Amino acid sequence: MTTNVTKQDVGPESGLSMRNVIHKAGISVALLGLIIFFSVFTEHFLTPNNITNILTQITINLVLAVGVTFVILIGGIDLSVGSVMAFAAVVAGKAMTLPDIGTFEAIAIAAFAAVIAGTICGFMNGVVSAYWGLPSFIITLGMLNIARGAALHVSNAQTIYSFPAAFNAFGSAMVFGVPLVFVVALCLVFLAWFVLTKTVFGRLLYGIGNNEEAVRLAGHPVFWYKVAAFTICGLTAGVAAIVYMARLNIASPIAGIGFELNAIAAVIIGGTSLSGGRGSVIGTLLGAFIIGVLANGLILLGLNDFMRQMITGVVIIIAVILDYYRAKYAAK
Amino acid sequence: MAATQSFEQAANSNLAADEILHVDNLRKHFGGVKALDGVSFSLRRGEVHALVGENGAGKSTLIKILSGVFPYDSGTVTLDGAPYRPASPRDAKAHGVQVVHQEFNLLNHLSVAENISIEAMPKTRFGLLDSAEMNRRARAALDAIGLRDVDVRSSVQKLGIAYRQLVEIARALQSESRILILDEPTATLTERETERLFDIVGKIKSKGVTVVFVSHHLEEVFGICDRVTVFRSGETIATENIADTKPQDVVRHMVGRELAAEMEQAENHKVGDVALSLRNFRVAQSPHAEGVSLDIRYGEIVGIAGLVGAGRTELLRGIFGAEPIVSGTIERDGVAVQFSGPRDAIASGISFVTEDRKDEGLILDMPIAANVSLASMKRVSTNGFLRPANERKLAEEAGANLRLKYGKITDPVASLSGGNQQKVVLAKWLIRNPKVLILDEPTRGVDVGAKAEIYAILKRLAQDGVALLVVSSEMPELMTLADRVVVLANHQIRGELPRAEFSQEKILKLAYGQENQGGKR
Amino acid sequence: MKFLKMAAIAATSLTLLGSAAHAADDKPVVGLVMKSLANEFFQNMLEGAKAHEAKRGDYELRAVGMQNETDIETQINAVENFITQGVDAIVVAPADSRAMVPPLKRAKEAGIVVVNFDVALDTKAKEENDVELAFVGPDNREGAKMAGDALAKKIGKGGKVVIVEGNPGADNAQQRKLGFDDAVEAGELELLDSRTAHWETEEANTVFSNMLTAHPDIEGVMAANDSMAIGVVKALESAGRTDIQVVGFDNVPAVGPMIKDGRLLATVDQFGQEMAANAIDMALEVVRGGPELEGWVKTPIKLVTAE
Repeated sequence: MTTNVTKQDVGPESGLSMRNVIHKAGISVALLGLIIFFSVFTEHFLTPNNITNILTQITINLVLAVGVTFVILIGGIDLSVGSVMAFAAVVAGKAMTLPDIGTFEAIAIAAFAAVIAGTICGFMNGVVSAYWGLPSFIITLGMLNIARGAALHVSNAQTIYSFPAAFNAFGSAMVFGVPLVFVVALCLVFLAWFVLTKTVFGRLLYGIGNNEEAVRLAGHPVFWYKVAAFTICGLTAGVAAIVYMARLNIASPIAGIGFELNAIAAVIIGGTSLSGGRGSVIGTLLGAFIIGVLANGLILLGLNDFMRQMITGVVIIIAVILDYYRAKYAAK
Repeated sequence: MAATQSFEQAANSNLAADEILHVDNLRKHFGGVKALDGVSFSLRRGEVHALVGENGAGKSTLIKILSGVFPYDSGTVTLDGAPYRPASPRDAKAHGVQVVHQEFNLLNHLSVAENISIEAMPKTRFGLLDSAEMNRRARAALDAIGLRDVDVRSSVQKLGIAYRQLVEIARALQSESRILILDEPTATLTERETERLFDIVGKIKSKGVTVVFVSHHLEEVFGICDRVTVFRSGETIATENIADTKPQDVVRHMVGRELAAEMEQAENHKVGDVALSLRNFRVAQSPHAEGVSLDIRYGEIVGIAGLVGAGRTELLRGIFGAEPIVSGTIERDGVAVQFSGPRDAIASGISFVTEDRKDEGLILDMPIAANVSLASMKRVSTNGFLRPANERKLAEEAGANLRLKYGKITDPVASLSGGNQQKVVLAKWLIRNPKVLILDEPTRGVDVGAKAEIYAILKRLAQDGVALLVVSSEMPELMTLADRVVVLANHQIRGELPRAEFSQEKILKLAYGQENQGGKR
Repeated sequence: MKFLKMAAIAATSLTLLGSAAHAADDKPVVGLVMKSLANEFFQNMLEGAKAHEAKRGDYELRAVGMQNETDIETQINAVENFITQGVDAIVVAPADSRAMVPPLKRAKEAGIVVVNFDVALDTKAKEENDVELAFVGPDNREGAKMAGDALAKKIGKGGKVVIVEGNPGADNAQQRKLGFDDAVEAGELELLDSRTAHWETEEANTVFSNMLTAHPDIEGVMAANDSMAIGVVKALESAGRTDIQVVGFDNVPAVGPMIKDGRLLATVDQFGQEMAANAIDMALEVVRGGPELEGWVKTPIKLVTAE
């Protein structure tokens, strides 16, 4: 139908503005709904202990998802984060259990080793997929296997344990009833939010996700920006490895199988578009909460494992459908 | 040409006597939106009448009213002196008013004949499809408009776009038509196909059918139409005899501004030193070792003409460092340079307005301000941290310079019209104060008003001493803008025309290789 | 180590050269088909078998492992490749107790001695295929009952317990669950909840934390393997609960310290390291002309506690 309204149909708005505010509100409403539902129908949901549990339980996924957000924002995907986390963990575990080494040094070396191991994996993902322009889906699928194999190789498939008590204490430490590891994750979220919205780097990542060629023709080194996004994702996998070790006091080479899918789910539920260019790390935070609250609440509800899995799947799909409508309404 | 004939006809025609349709003070609202707000005009028997206006000016609504898609709110329409208020498209057809839409309504898998007879399939005595009769009718319909080379039994799918359109016209004309409305018929046609369409329009006209021609291309309007009615904001501004008016006047009516004057004013400017010099410059796609050699001076607008595939876009991308160079040199201000990427080209003062703003020029989801600053991040940040206030200010200033129409500077650029989107692309590069500006199809998909504005901007830049290199497929555009036109074919320069020698014919001959400089003839 | 694994995979891929299976010095060749070598338990078992080969020195070992626990196809291919190579015996820890029956039947028909260990092949599938294959292995159900009994003894009648299960559908997970159920019944315990954590530490940690929230009055936990038991122990530490007893299964090295300081009440050792070696010994007996194995040859299991 043609009218004399010259304005075109208004497209989806920026990742930085109104649309996202509306969007985030939508996700928050969904989260709030879940919280109210579980508070009403389960006895223990809204107890301090359970809240602490939820915060602890979502931490690893949140840390991984923050990194994955960067990659998805540039229109890529990273399937390797679970394996990279395991690799980083066993490298760090080896470092931490080195003989004849002081407690503090052991922890410092291990933490450094985890972050470096993760960063290297992410960097390789980025360089290979960006240099040859290959789909990151395949490259990171390769890295999923490489990192898993490396984790098994380095550890000889043995679980590494007996870490210093000081390190283990970090995993269970609380700050005003909030797990320290969650506070670390929250700092990471804030940092990522700042980088994505307040810096030239973040702006250009959104730009690349939307229109890579336009950014390239504006004179920006797109290759390095892409590599950086993947590297950040690897780095957060390294951080997640430290959190994993601190929480469970082991480094298992078979840790993190399937974690990449949970991380991606958190990002997508959080409203970041799989095709890139749209979304926010605040959304990812809410997405991780939705997954964590659901996992926790459904157990408290006493639902059996299989029903739980089905409902989680249904909720993911509903979240994405809701996002579709929100995007549509936001555009009007 | 048919055009010259029609001028005479228009001039000689007796006013009211020949009137077939008369529209007076027609109004139509959609909810609170006024689509038509006082439209008055008339059609004469056997004339070709153009309707022009910017997008959304009301042309399409009028067509839909005349063809029975919408009823109108108020006003009068008379057809052959009787009140005309079609209840449905079928009713409109019964009155002899036919529309050929921009989007085709053909059934791709059926034959041409089946498509032509789709509304009334001929039947045999036994109620079966009479395909002999159907084919005969289709043949007659095609012959009537001179489409003798189309087999009525072949499926529509196998025809080119141009032929599909002609088949639609044939279908529209097979029943008794008095008024044939063509809604942007040339939008998807090549130049040759367009010529063929115009021949057919001439034939139709000679049969006494009135043709209403909706187009964005003024050169077409001036080529085949007898009269033109200009729409603006749901109103008819003026109806003129083509013979008595000029394209500038029509544009002035359309935009309501004296842009044409501004453009003419900027005509004379000084040409300075050589800004950019290409020597045997060869991109990877070019089959010729000698490549392209070309100088562009400050204050000069050099146009590049050529057919699709002539290597125009590749040449521009090569200059900008976005395409690998096989051999040859670039000199900037007489100094040899090598660009390893757009970044280097930008650093040396070159800016590139790309052909396809949706794929290469803009980040549609992002705010206007973010798009404007995309190539100038340093100016809107300190140490890598964005300064949103600076960015907004920069974009607002740039927008004001280019008369950008927008709601908020933080609105996504996708919310703008095509012309304003193109202005954002221009703003992105102009805030860098480029010394050399290269543009690939700078006004594609932009309506006439915005086109004129963009021409004025480019002229002003040349006057300010910027060297401009413009690729365009629209010859009037090059002839309006350029100081000289270089014609490219198959990655080679086939010739160069100074402003004094500009003509579409000469450019085309060079582009088609019929007039090789120092060549075969 | 990894080289050997790779060599083993390479060896099995060389089906066309199968006729060369009998090594120059004519030692009997034993094909060992393992489950996931990413699993510590099977990794250790493989190393036990290799040590055994070196120690005995009178046979040649060819071992194949899998990518993951559910990679059934690799196992079937491995068996078929061993048949083509004409090995003397196949010793197999089946990934699927039904799917493995037909290929093993073919092996037997080819005159190869087949010994099934670790997880028993499905009785019904064996009947349907009309084949008799002996099983050498521990009684998972019995082992789980031993762990469960230790827990019952500690917390007494009426004690409230939960179970953390292995992969739903895995035979040993089912057997261990049945064993725990037996212990619950025998010890007159009250079972509050039973959920899977897919053998995984982190998931066990999460799942158990949530079960603990739902049932703060839990007194005992039975975890179907030690990896999950570790996750449970960590959850208890985080929750500051020292009053809840945990038992595990497998006796992996990582739980050693936990057993010692009482965070883990008990685990079950099924001598995994020797399991493959034992099965190989039995297979070689038959190859040397000993009597055919029949039924279920149970291997030892032992409850491990602080004492």
